[in-house]
Amino acid sequence: MRRFELALPQSLDDCLKILAQHGGRARPVAGGTDLLPQMKNGVLKPALVVDLSGIARVRQIVNGTGLRIGAGVTARELEVSPAARGAYLAIAESAALVGSLQVRNLATIGGNLCNAAPSADMAPPLLALEAQMVVAGPRGERRVPIADFFTGVRKTVLAPDELLVELIVPPPGAHSGGQYLRHTPRRELDIAVVGVASQLTLADGRCTKARIALASVAPTPVRAVAAERSLEGQAVTPAAIERAATLAIEAANPISDQRGSAEFRRHLVRVLTRRTLATALQRAGA
Amino acid sequence: MAKQVLSCTVNGEPVEVLVQPYATLLDALREDLGLTGPKEGCGTGDCGACTVHVDGKVVASCLMLAMQARGRQVRTIEGLGTGDTLHPLQDAFVRHGVPQCGFCIPGVLMAAAALLEENPRPSEEEIRYGIAGNLCRCTGYTRMVTAISEAADTLASQGSAR
Amino acid sequence: MSTMKTTRDIKGVGVAIPRPDGPEKVTGRVQYVGDIKPKGLLHAKLLRSPHAHAKIVSIDTRAARALPGVRAVLTAADIPELKRKAPTRAHAVLAIDRVVFAGQPVAAVAADEPAIAEEALDLIEVEYQVLPAAVDPLESMQPGAPPVADAGTEADTSEALAHSAVAMAKSETPTKAVNVSQTSRVTRGDVAKGFAESDVVLEHTYRVPMVHQGYLEPHAVLAEWDSTGHLTLWASTQGSFNTRSEVADVLGIPENRIRVIPVECGGGFGGKIRALCEPITAVLAKVTGRPVRYVMTRREELEAGMPAPQVIIKLKTGVKRDGTLVAIDAETVIDSGAFSGAVLAVSAVFLGSMYKWPAFDLRGFEVLTHKPSVAAYRAPVAPQTIFAIESQMEQIARDLDLDPVEFRMRHLIQEGDQMVNGQPWQSNGAKQVLARIAEHPHWKSRKQWVAAGGNGKRRGVGLALGGWLGGLQPTGATVRLNPDGSLAVLTGQVDIAGTNIALAQIAASTYGVDTDLVRITTGDTDTAPVTGLSAGSKTIYTVGAAVLQAAEDARRQTFEIAAKELEASVHDLELVDGKVVVRGMPDKGITLAAIGKKGNLYMSKTPPVLGRANPAFSQQAPGFAAQLARLEVDPDTGEVTIHDFVVVQDVGKAINPIGVEGQMQGGAVQSLGMALTEGLQFDDTGRLTNPSLLDYRKLTAADLPSLETIIVEVPSPAGPFGARGVGEPPIVPAPAAIANALQDATGARLTELPLSPERIALAIARGAART
Repeated sequence: MRRFELALPQSLDDCLKILAQHGGRARPVAGGTDLLPQMKNGVLKPALVVDLSGIARVRQIVNGTGLRIGAGVTARELEVSPAARGAYLAIAESAALVGSLQVRNLATIGGNLCNAAPSADMAPPLLALEAQMVVAGPRGERRVPIADFFTGVRKTVLAPDELLVELIVPPPGAHSGGQYLRHTPRRELDIAVVGVASQLTLADGRCTKARIALASVAPTPVRAVAAERSLEGQAVTPAAIERAATLAIEAANPISDQRGSAEFRRHLVRVLTRRTLATALQRAGA
Repeated sequence: MAKQVLSCTVNGEPVEVLVQPYATLLDALREDLGLTGPKEGCGTGDCGACTVHVDGKVVASCLMLAMQARGRQVRTIEGLGTGDTLHPLQDAFVRHGVPQCGFCIPGVLMAAAALLEENPRPSEEEIRYGIAGNLCRCTGYTRMVTAISEAADTLASQGSAR
Repeated sequence: MSTMKTTRDIKGVGVAIPRPDGPEKVTGRVQYVGDIKPKGLLHAKLLRSPHAHAKIVSIDTRAARALPGVRAVLTAADIPELKRKAPTRAHAVLAIDRVVFAGQPVAAVAADEPAIAEEALDLIEVEYQVLPAAVDPLESMQPGAPPVADAGTEADTSEALAHSAVAMAKSETPTKAVNVSQTSRVTRGDVAKGFAESDVVLEHTYRVPMVHQGYLEPHAVLAEWDSTGHLTLWASTQGSFNTRSEVADVLGIPENRIRVIPVECGGGFGGKIRALCEPITAVLAKVTGRPVRYVMTRREELEAGMPAPQVIIKLKTGVKRDGTLVAIDAETVIDSGAFSGAVLAVSAVFLGSMYKWPAFDLRGFEVLTHKPSVAAYRAPVAPQTIFAIESQMEQIARDLDLDPVEFRMRHLIQEGDQMVNGQPWQSNGAKQVLARIAEHPHWKSRKQWVAAGGNGKRRGVGLALGGWLGGLQPTGATVRLNPDGSLAVLTGQVDIAGTNIALAQIAASTYGVDTDLVRITTGDTDTAPVTGLSAGSKTIYTVGAAVLQAAEDARRQTFEIAAKELEASVHDLELVDGKVVVRGMPDKGITLAAIGKKGNLYMSKTPPVLGRANPAFSQQAPGFAAQLARLEVDPDTGEVTIHDFVVVQDVGKAINPIGVEGQMQGGAVQSLGMALTEGLQFDDTGRLTNPSLLDYRKLTAADLPSLETIIVEVPSPAGPFGARGVGEPPIVPAPAAIANALQDATGARLTELPLSPERIALAIARGAART
C-alpha cells in the first residue's frame, strides 16, 4: 500500500469538516474491507484517509418505528442483532453472507453500500424494504431513498464531502416476510454471482406488496419491478411465483465475467427469485 | 509523514508504539511490535492467515489500519497460550499432527479460539464454519476439525473441574 | 527388571509420532522468510507488464530514482548478466525488450519501506507497443500465431528431469509451428484398424485450466552479500541445492560463493522448485550493499507465479461390446505459458498404460502462450490425465452396462506389464487399492444411497483410480552418534509436511534406538550433504533410503568400536536398550553413550561414529490412490454437497501414519479444489481476471466433509522399510471421481474443469430442455 495521511476525527462534525476541506483527495474508511484491497491494488490512491471508527453516532442499531442502522454497524453485528433477525430477517441474512467472519467483524453496512459494487449483498434486502439513507454533508443532512442511491458501478449520489451516516428501514408491518439468498461456488469467503431479496406483504390471502431486488446482474443493485407488479393483488400461488421468477429476469442485464456468464446469471435470477418468494410467503404467513 | 502514537492492549499488556499512518494492524504487530505469528497470506482478507482478536472478535488484521486499534484489546497467537503452557487448542493441534507447512496455523488457531469462547461446544458444522475464513492448503482441514472438537472437550472438562 | 528393548520393538518406523516442531508451529514462533528482519533491510518490489505481449519502447526511471527512500531502480539494461533467449523463467529476470506475459517483471526497486517501493513503481514510465497475444494454446500451436519465445530458444526439459518421473521415447524435433516447444509420440499396433473393429468408439475432449499450487506463503527471499563477495539467500524453497544452482547459472556466480539457507517453507507443492525471484533480489542486494527482501503479493502469485499448465486432451477409445479394450488415440496439449518446461511424458503413460490397450497412438505437444509459465504442481499432469482416462473408462462401463470396478480391474496393469514407453511397471498396489475401495460400504450401498435422496436434490456416487510413478534423485545424509548416546541426522531436506520426523523414525529403527533419541537437522547448502528436492513423492523413498543407509553405516561403525572394546566379534553383538551387548550375555556390553564419548575425547584412539550415505537410484515405486465421493447436487443452482469422501492409498509402508494421512487428506482436498472450483481465468488479451483468493477459489473447511483415509501397504521392493512416496497420488483421482459421481447424480458427463455450479446447472438445464 502506498503512503497516506490518516485523520482520526472523534465526531461527525469534525469528520465533515475534514472531508469538506480535502474533498476528492480524502477517502473515509470504516471497516476497510473494500477500501484497503483497492488501495493495495493501486485502484485508489487517496492522499488522506479519514477513519470513521471514532464516531459513536454511526455505530448504533435502534429498533423503534422502523430500524435505524448506523452506517458503521458491522455486518457481524447485524447478522446477530435480535432486532434485525426479527422483522428484518433478510437484512440479517445478507449481512451473514458477507466475506468471512474475519471480514464481517470489520465490514460495515455503510461501507458495503458506499462501495457500490453491483454484488453488494446488503443492498437487495434494503431495496426490498425501501430503506432511506441519511446522508450528512456541509449543507446539513438529507435523505435519499436507497433506490436512488446507486448511480453506476462503484458510483453513488454521495458528493466527496458527504458521508452516509445511517439507514432507516421502515417497518414492513404485519404479515410481511422476506428472504435474501445468493449463489456462490463456495459456502463462505465468496462473493455473489447473483443475489436476490424478496419481501412479501399479505392481506386476506393476497399479496398487497411485493418487493424483489437483485444483486450482481446490472451495474447497480436493481428492483425487479415487473415481477413485483405481477404479484401484487394476486394470490401467491406456485404459478404466480413461477411467473414472477420469469419476469424477474427482465430486470436483469447481466454481463459475463470471471464469476459467471450472463446465461447462468439469468438462470439464477429465476431460481433464486422463486426460492426467496416461496420463503417470503411462508414467513409472511407465519 | 508523521508517525502516530498507537495506544492499545496487546496480549494483555498495555502498549504505546509509534506507527506509520498507513500501517495496517498486521504491519504494526509484525514490524513494530515483533509479533510475527500473524502472517500475510493475501493482504486482502481472503485467506485468514493474519487473523487476530480485537476486543475478542476475529478480524483480518491486514484490512484494519493500525490506528483503528487505538484503545482496543488485541490478541495474537503469541498471547493464546500462557507462558510455556500451550492452550488446549495448540496442544490438540500438536498431538493430532495438524501443522504441515504451518503458515495458516496461527490464524486458524485464533479463529478456533474465538469460536470456542463464543460457542464452547460447537458441532462439526459449526467448527467448519468457524474456520471457513481460514484457508489451509496442506491439511484438508479434517484433523483441524478433530483437534478443535477435542480441545472443546478439554476446555469444557477444565471448566467443570474448576 | 525393566523390559528389554530390542531393535524389533523400538519406537520407530510405523508409530504415529507428532512432529517435534509442532509446538513451534502452533505458537507462531517458527520463522518464515518474511519474519526475518536483519538490520538495514530494504524491501523490493517489481514493476510488471500489464500486457501479455508487447515491445518495450522505452523505460524512464528517473522520477523513481529521485524519490527519497529509494535505494535502487533496475531495468534489464542495468544487469549485463542477462541474456536474450532466456531458456527458463528464472533467466528472464527482467524483460529485455519484449514482454511475453502479463505480469512479467520489467523493472525492480529496492527501498526503505514497501510503501515507498510501490510509489517508486508508480513513477517508472514504460512505453509499450502492444503486440497480438497468443492466449489459447490450440490457436497458439497453429502456424502464423504470434511467436512467444525468441527464435532459437531451447526447450527446457529440466522439469521432467527434476521429477525423474518417467523416461520417454525421445521427443521429436519441434515442427515448424512456432510455439510448439516439445512434442512426443508413442504408438503401438494399428489404431485405425482397432477403431474399425470396435463396437463402441467414444470421443471426448477434456479440458483443465491452469491451476495455482495455492501455498499459503507467497514466494519470499532475503538476499545479502558479505564483504568477501559471498551471497547468502534465505529462501522459501523446496530444494536449496536446486535454488543455488539456478541462481549461480542465471547470474554467473560460482556455486561456492552462494549459500542458500532453506527457511521454513510455507507450502510449495511444486511451485517452489524453480527459482523465481531469487536472482533479482540478489542483484538488488548487490547494487545496494544492503540486505534486500522480496515477498510476492498474492496478486503477483496468481498473475505471475508458476502455476500448473492448462491441459487439453482429445481422447478417442475403441472397445468391444464385452468390454475388451481395442485402441486408444489421444492428443495432449500442454499450455506451458511463456516458457518451456512442462512434463510431457506423464500424460501418455497414464492414458495408454494404466489400462492395457493393445493399440495406441499418443501424441503430446508442449505449446507456448503469452501467459505465465508453468511449473510442477503435485503430480504434474497426472490429475489432468486421470480426469480424462477415468472419465472415459467410467463412461465406457456405463455405455456397456458393465460394473465400473470389474471393468477397470479386468484391464488394470500390474507389475511387469509394459508401459507405453516400453519400460515395465514396477511393483505397485493399483489392484489392491481398487479392490479395497470397491469393498467400502459407501460403494456397495451406492444404489440405496442414491435412491434415498430427496428434497429436490440428486445424489450420486463415483470413484476413480490414479497414481504417480514415483520420483528419484540422488541425495545424501549423515548420522552421527553424540557423546550421550543420542543420534544426530543431517540432510539438506526441506521439511514442509513433516518428513523430518519420518526420517528420524527410519534412522531410529535402523540404528536401534527410540525416535526421541534422534535429532534431525535440515542443513543449508554450506553444511548439508547434497540433497534432492522436496518434491515428486521422493523424500521418504530417496532421502529416507539415504538416512537408512547412513544409519546402517553408523550402526556398523558403532558395533566395530564395541567389538574392539568388548573383545567380541561384531556378529555376536546386538543393541539392547541403548547398550551394545554380546548376544546372550547382557552384562557384557558398552553403552552408546560410552562409545559416543570415546569418539569425542582428547587423546582418544576411538574414531567418532559418522555414518554416511550418498545413494543414487534407478528403481521407481509407483503409488496408486483411489477416491470415492458421495455427493448431492442441487439441480437448479448446480451446488454440490460432498457428503462423504474416501481416500484409499497404497503407501508401501506407513513410516509415520500421521504424516501419511496428512498427505492423503491434504492432497485429496487440493484434488477436490481442482475438481470443483479452481482455475486461473484469462481474458482474450491474456490478462488474468481472477487475481485474488476471493475469485481464485480454494475450498474452505465449510465446503468439505471430514475425509476418511484408508492406508493400504504393498511394500515397495527398494524403498526404506517398503515405503513408497505418498505426496502425489492423493491429488490425482478426485476430478474424475467427482465427474463420475456427478454423472451418476445427473446423467450429465462433464468434461471441463472445474465442475463448477454453472457448468453443472447449465448442463442439467440443457439436458432437461432436450428431453
